Amino acid sequence: ELLGRSHITNAFKILLFYVIFYGCLAGIFIGTIQVMLLTVSEFEPKYQDRVAPPGLTQVPQVQKTEISFTASDSKSYEPYVKNLEKFLKDYSADQQTENIVFQDCGEMPTDYKDRGPYSDAQGQKKVCKFKREWLENCSGIQDPTFGYKDGKPCILVKLNRIIGFKPKAPVNDSLPAEVMAKYSPYLIPVHCAAKREEDADKIGTVEYYGMGGYSGFALQYYPYYGKLLQPRYLQPLVAVQFTNLTYDVEVRVECRAYGQNIQYSDKDRFQGRFDIKFDIRSS
Amino acid sequence: MGKEESYELGPRGPAPPKAPKGRGRRKKEQLEDMKKEMDVGLVGAVAAERLLRDGPNELRPPRGTPECVKFGRQLAGGLQCLMWVAAAICLIAYGVQEGQGDRGSADNLYLAIALIAVVVVTGCFGYYQEFKSTNIIASFKNLVPQQATVIREGDKLQINANELVVGDLVEIKGGDRVPADIRIISAQGCKVDNSSLTGESEPQTRSPECTHDSPLETRNIAFFSTMCLEGTATGLVINTGDRTIIGRIASLASGVENEKTPIAIEIEHFVDIIAGLAIFFGATFFVVAMVIGYPFLRAMVFFMAIVVAYVPEGLLATVTVCLSLTAKRLARKNCVVKNLEAVETLGSTSVICSDKTGTLTQNRMTVAHLWFDNQIHTADTTEDQSGQSFDQSSETWTLLSRVVTLCNRAQFKSGQENVPVAKREVIGDASETALLKFAEVTVGTVSEARGRFPKVAELPFNSTNKFQLSVHTAGDRQLLVLKGAPERVLERCSTVMIKGQELPLDAQWREAFEGAYADLGGRGERVLGFCARWLPAGTVAAGTDPEALPEVAVGLCFAGLVAMIDPPRATVPRAVLKCRTAGIRVIMVTGDHPITAKAIAAAVGIISEGSETPEDVAARLRVPLEQVDPRQARARVVTGAELAGMEPGVLEGILRAHPEMVFARTSPQQKLVIVESCQRLGAIVAVTGDGVNDSPALKRADIGVAMGIAGSDAAKNAADMILLDDNFASIVTGVEQGRLIFDNLKKSIAYTLTKNIPELTPYLIYITASVPLPLGCITILFIELCTDIFPSVSLAYERAESDIMHLKPRNPRRDRLVNEPLAAYSYFQIGAIQSFAGFTDYFVAMAQEGWWPLLCLGLRPRWEDTHEQELQDSYGQQWTFEQRRYQQYTCYTVFFISIEMCQIADVLIRKTRRLSLLQQGLFRNHILVIAIVFQVSIGCFLCYCPGMPNIFNFMPIRFQWWFVPMPFGLLILIYDEIRKLGVRRHPGSWWDRELYY
Repeated sequence: ELLGRSHITNAFKILLFYVIFYGCLAGIFIGTIQVMLLTVSEFEPKYQDRVAPPGLTQVPQVQKTEISFTASDSKSYEPYVKNLEKFLKDYSADQQTENIVFQDCGEMPTDYKDRGPYSDAQGQKKVCKFKREWLENCSGIQDPTFGYKDGKPCILVKLNRIIGFKPKAPVNDSLPAEVMAKYSPYLIPVHCAAKREEDADKIGTVEYYGMGGYSGFALQYYPYYGKLLQPRYLQPLVAVQFTNLTYDVEVRVECRAYGQNIQYSDKDRFQGRFDIKFDIRSS
Repeated sequence: MGKEESYELGPRGPAPPKAPKGRGRRKKEQLEDMKKEMDVGLVGAVAAERLLRDGPNELRPPRGTPECVKFGRQLAGGLQCLMWVAAAICLIAYGVQEGQGDRGSADNLYLAIALIAVVVVTGCFGYYQEFKSTNIIASFKNLVPQQATVIREGDKLQINANELVVGDLVEIKGGDRVPADIRIISAQGCKVDNSSLTGESEPQTRSPECTHDSPLETRNIAFFSTMCLEGTATGLVINTGDRTIIGRIASLASGVENEKTPIAIEIEHFVDIIAGLAIFFGATFFVVAMVIGYPFLRAMVFFMAIVVAYVPEGLLATVTVCLSLTAKRLARKNCVVKNLEAVETLGSTSVICSDKTGTLTQNRMTVAHLWFDNQIHTADTTEDQSGQSFDQSSETWTLLSRVVTLCNRAQFKSGQENVPVAKREVIGDASETALLKFAEVTVGTVSEARGRFPKVAELPFNSTNKFQLSVHTAGDRQLLVLKGAPERVLERCSTVMIKGQELPLDAQWREAFEGAYADLGGRGERVLGFCARWLPAGTVAAGTDPEALPEVAVGLCFAGLVAMIDPPRATVPRAVLKCRTAGIRVIMVTGDHPITAKAIAAAVGIISEGSETPEDVAARLRVPLEQVDPRQARARVVTGAELAGMEPGVLEGILRAHPEMVFARTSPQQKLVIVESCQRLGAIVAVTGDGVNDSPALKRADIGVAMGIAGSDAAKNAADMILLDDNFASIVTGVEQGRLIFDNLKKSIAYTLTKNIPELTPYLIYITASVPLPLGCITILFIELCTDIFPSVSLAYERAESDIMHLKPRNPRRDRLVNEPLAAYSYFQIGAIQSFAGFTDYFVAMAQEGWWPLLCLGLRPRWEDTHEQELQDSYGQQWTFEQRRYQQYTCYTVFFISIEMCQIADVLIRKTRRLSLLQQGLFRNHILVIAIVFQVSIGCFLCYCPGMPNIFNFMPIRFQWWFVPMPFGLLILIYDEIRKLGVRRHPGSWWDRELYY
């Protein structure tokens, strides 16, 4: 019994030792993290080398980047429509009424809108309005199914938000001819084409809707000031409608944003571009 | 002696030439008949038939382990098994994940491949080491086939000895190796050296008479592989090959199981600890994962991953390399180790059972003492003649030296003028050789002296006369010189020479002679008497019948006594002393006579000065031996005969009662019994030996040490270690290196184990707190198998903290290689600090890139969703999957660097276990400093080499992230100094018990 007691005391001592030991360690750890957090700005990340250049993404957000439905079956495209509708809710006119938050940035692409330093010294920053109507057929205002019921699906294209990122408009000669057709120096053009050469004739006509009829992101929406300073920031959108896709065939489409500081990477297939598969069944 | 009694003649089955089973006198007549019959030898056809039946006359080499089994053994050690199990688990986990369609599970496959690769590579390495040392040993083998002179069908033939069959009539002569076990039919002055069989270096006469019932003792059997020193003999082959005495001893050795080495036992104990902890942790987190709500299979994969993460992949390589480094260091000091693990065994050794002849002694008769002018003079017995000589001015010495020179039939082989006398080869028996060399060294060129005094007639030594005499012409006189057994010599003397004066040999001088004779004999020396007489010219004519010479040899003048011994090697006494200070008991086990054995034991310090045997005590107290209290006698000499009569268990009692033991006249089997008794007492036993008779004991010992030059092949085969220079003192080096490597392995293991925790905790936090994975599997493999190998190996170069040769051998039951304090301190203290360092750096890197710590918690499912291309960070920025992946790799790298930084501190603290780092010297181990530099360089290379992100998941990280873990490294250094201070200041305290490993 004596042995048992000495064992228990010893175990207790060890326990106490480890409690103190880990207590101290945890203290040091939390202290260090706190100190580190003090050095990190609330409004602006210290480094952005991993997040830039930005990714290009689409709405509806789909698994396996495949949009597959039957035009006659509303059930088959319902998730896409819901997703689009949900996303566009923030873009509705009635959501952009508070003038203290929103600012009218015009109907045509213009230059960057710098809003001062990245701090809350001047309170929150204003946000450019983005009118849902600009998306026309893909706005879901006239056609709540975004063209899906006619087999003419819409997708929305947007550039990932990055604080302080100012996309630079592309230099003229580097662009496809279709993009050059509607050029603006304050625009990051977006263009969708067949991923593979042999699919080129299956895509049919592609309609673009965006600010002022431009298929691209206007520069006045940049730079982004972060979720603390611009909690209701609206990313500029481009809606792309495929009005004459070949049915019953998998068609792969690649959309790209063009800009001097928008690069593409073999590793990251969503950097500055994305590709999406359409499979519209006729019945 | 059990097996010797059952020694059978001839092979199993009908033995055609009714070879005499009993050498008893009642069969004498039959024998005589047979001898006549045998004069013509066997018929060739019969011989061929028997050769076919019995097989060739050679020792079947101990069934060599097939190479693939040797290699297999390298793959099946304790650690290796652990890694095999881990690899299997990895493969299972991989299969499960593949089955679930989980991509990115290739990690487990890589891990399995890496684990298998490590086992195989280290296995190859170990195999190569073993192969290399086996080669060194094999090179000693004498490849020249032995020839034998055989009489068949009446013709004398030279045939290869391996073609001999039972019943063959063979002739042997001086210088031959006996080609089989033979029964002598006729002999002329035949002497054999049985030392390889019995360890006794004294030549033994061989003659046709049967003198003893035991085949080992009787005179009429000469044994296979012993040397015939002189004379000639004819004999009948009675046994060949493995059925010979030597073959039986060799097979006795191969029947002995090899013990597990102490280090293998330690590693197994350590694997038990690791496996226990791994399963404990795995099970705990399996339960946690189930409670959190992971699906069963997922939790199972977690369980397996944790178990595998606990396997210290790098340890096997570290241990192997550390051991082979020591093996290399030992090889440079002439100790070749056959089995890597045996490197450490000498360090744990607590008892050394040493053979005498050739190990402790020089294995050559040397003149040790002389008695003339009524005084004992000491001759120089050192190997290189560096010792003191005696006073040679007396005229008695002039006479004695002349007798020694002339009355000697031995001579140097020609063409050795430039060879040191001690190393010259001599034709002649051991005593004559000793005298010849002695004369050459003290008097001068012997051949010249012999030329000045040409030999007229001589009578060689024989066992009836027990003396040898020769007559030489010396100017106008003749000189009769005689040497032999002292008492026989004295019989023929009437005067004695004292300081050049011939004095009558009266009772007083006889008493003085007896005293000196007894004194020298008591020292275990072989004593010869020398005397001479001047004769008028022509007393003995050339060509006189030698048998007539003894008549002339009366009334001689006694010149002196010369005592010879096989002297101890010069380095041995110091080595024995060192062993004693190191707490190792040295026991002599020899086949030689007890008196000689005791004398040598006393000379080398196995029986220390002032220690008495029970016999000594009895003599001192004048009481019968039975009344002596064993506790009064530190020393004890036990003979084989006493040993044979002992009840089981008595030997252990004797071993316990007397710290200084000598075993004399022991048979190979008894040597085995002695070793086993020591082992039963809990000792780790080293056996040194050279003869075939030692081989069973060598095999049974925890470590058998064979002599490289003098050692027989059987001994070398049975041994684990070979002393290339036959120097017992090399054993001390072995002990020192063994102890050092044990200490340093402890340090290496502690170092290697520590990082297991910072490698494991990321995964545990990943499971429980669902943060993005902070440390990847490939990165862990790089830490384990690349960067941290060098520092852990460099710890093998660390010098000892204290004088390890003044400590007792470790207690194999208490002083473990890996004990609980070591595991607890490494895992739960230093490892914990390292984990905190890693996580601090991880959260810093995450926060500075936009992911604040609180956001990270629970982020994992979305973070790892390959379809999520717009995951928001703490600032509202959106990340694609690939961007997140590179961020994750950045975290891996940052965590990797943190572990590396802390491991630098860790390797520094592991330099000592008790001393302060400053006492040990921070930079004195240059290899360690280089290893650290190298480690950092590899770290830099991995981080900043282009292409790394996509190959090995290393990202170039920001410079300041290298500094985040440094305060933790400093904390490790300071904390360990505090620990050591506590351990030094308060030995035996709670702190010491719990924190000293």
